[in-house]
Amino acid sequence: MSTPEYSIRTEHLTLAYEDKVAVRDATFQLPWGGVTAIIGPNGSGKSTLLHAIAGTLPPRSGSLSLGGGTRNRVSYVMQTVNVAPGTPITVREVIGMGRYAELGWWRPFRTTDRKRVDAAMERLGITDLAGRHLSELSGGQRQRVYVAQGIVQDHDLLLLDEPLTGLDLVSARVIDEIIHTESAEGCSVLVTTHDLDEARAADNVVLMAGRILAYGPPEQVLTRANLAAAYGLGSLHESGKDFVDDPAHPDEVSDPNPDRSR
Amino acid sequence: MTVDWWLEPFLLGFQQRALIGGLIAAVMTSMVGVWIVLRGMSFFGDAFVHGVTPGIAAAILLNFSPYLGAALAAIVMVLLMEFVHRQTQLKEDTAIGLLFVGMMALGVVIISLSRSYAGSLTGILFGDVLGVSWSDIQAQAIIAALVILLSLVLYRPLLALAISAPKAQTLGMAPKLTHALLLVMIAGAVIGSFRSVGTMLVFALLVGPPATAAILVRTVRQMMVLSLLISAFTVWFGLILSFHLGTAGSATMALLAIVIFFVVLVVRMLVRLLRHRQTQEVTV
Repeated sequence: MSTPEYSIRTEHLTLAYEDKVAVRDATFQLPWGGVTAIIGPNGSGKSTLLHAIAGTLPPRSGSLSLGGGTRNRVSYVMQTVNVAPGTPITVREVIGMGRYAELGWWRPFRTTDRKRVDAAMERLGITDLAGRHLSELSGGQRQRVYVAQGIVQDHDLLLLDEPLTGLDLVSARVIDEIIHTESAEGCSVLVTTHDLDEARAADNVVLMAGRILAYGPPEQVLTRANLAAAYGLGSLHESGKDFVDDPAHPDEVSDPNPDRSR
Repeated sequence: MTVDWWLEPFLLGFQQRALIGGLIAAVMTSMVGVWIVLRGMSFFGDAFVHGVTPGIAAAILLNFSPYLGAALAAIVMVLLMEFVHRQTQLKEDTAIGLLFVGMMALGVVIISLSRSYAGSLTGILFGDVLGVSWSDIQAQAIIAALVILLSLVLYRPLLALAISAPKAQTLGMAPKLTHALLLVMIAGAVIGSFRSVGTMLVFALLVGPPATAAILVRTVRQMMVLSLLISAFTVWFGLILSFHLGTAGSATMALLAIVIFFVVLVVRMLVRLLRHRQTQEVTV
């Protein structure tokens, strides 16, 4: 099977929640494969765009098409999944849910499905947590569980909404490795981030601020002029130049892990 | 206690029917109640069981099937909740609260239109487990079969929905349809149980045993099984107690379900305290 021309293509795409437009008139195309970082201030429409790509938010107008097949090959790791404390669902069950997309409502788990779950837990280093409840895990461990659930699902396109935000060093490193391994294995990976270093390490970048300001290779997109347009003048730190202040949410964009290494 | 103490309550036909009707109600409410507890829908469930009152009252007054009346009332209640949700920005619990009181009051108003039906109010609200007939049990069994079938078919969608609706959607688990079918299951459990347990008291079986099970187990499957066992025990032992104490059967079962929860909670607390002390002693 030949490699599709693109992973995602939009034309004049507008996304909205009731009467509030989150993304306006977005037109862009991303190549198949590789890692794409979506960067922009809080409320710039990054998560909304992922929702639309995952099929949980229909376009208000315009079009969004996925290359290489149907939407059921998209796996989406969301930013926040709030499971009530004490919910009697184990880590293994949560990860196993990733197979539901393939198995449907009642087809039983096969040996291959169980092996996929075991392998995902091993890759994320959470095998020893299999019998724990989500409420018994740290934030970093929980995020690894959700990423494991994401990679257990059959996918050509992996969407991760701020997967590294606020994580401990070990969890961030493990998930970062997964992102690049998935890409190396031919999967297209889309990651939203506030981390300029992370965006610079990606193959492509989409810069958003309620619309698409720029997209393409990092060196073309992450220019001072583009970042100033997205975040406002003076947002880029002169010292580190690795993180951008979000004028709307200054406390939320601070570096969660200044020591994080790739 | 002699063997007679345990067997005597079930020697007569109407008492045996009460046990069968109660056990069918226990199965239905356990299957549905697990999802009510897991999804934090207890207030909705409470409102829902009261919301069917006007339908049953109207059915008694106008002489048509109370099951049909309860089903119609349940549909009206859900549609009105959806109407409030779509037309206002009020939180969901406000709409539930409005309908809870409104439907309950309407039921009492309908019943109060005729003095001769005043006794029916007690029957609707508190049930009459000793008055369960074979035709009631037949209707209950049919509804129970549908509820159990839906529970089995919807296990994965409901589990995914208990985690997150958007995530359930990305997994192809159709969260909106699943939620709608859960409402049908709740309606089925309530309608199928009100004869024996009553609309007010069915809520005790919907929430009590699943909540007790939730604090003891590690998985949803275990929660379902344990909830079912606790429910069945509640019905059986509740009927024995009501027989010997001369108390109302439905109310005794409902009270027992809640008492079991608190007994388990306190015992678990004491066990944890004891373990903690033992650990400290070993450390020292």
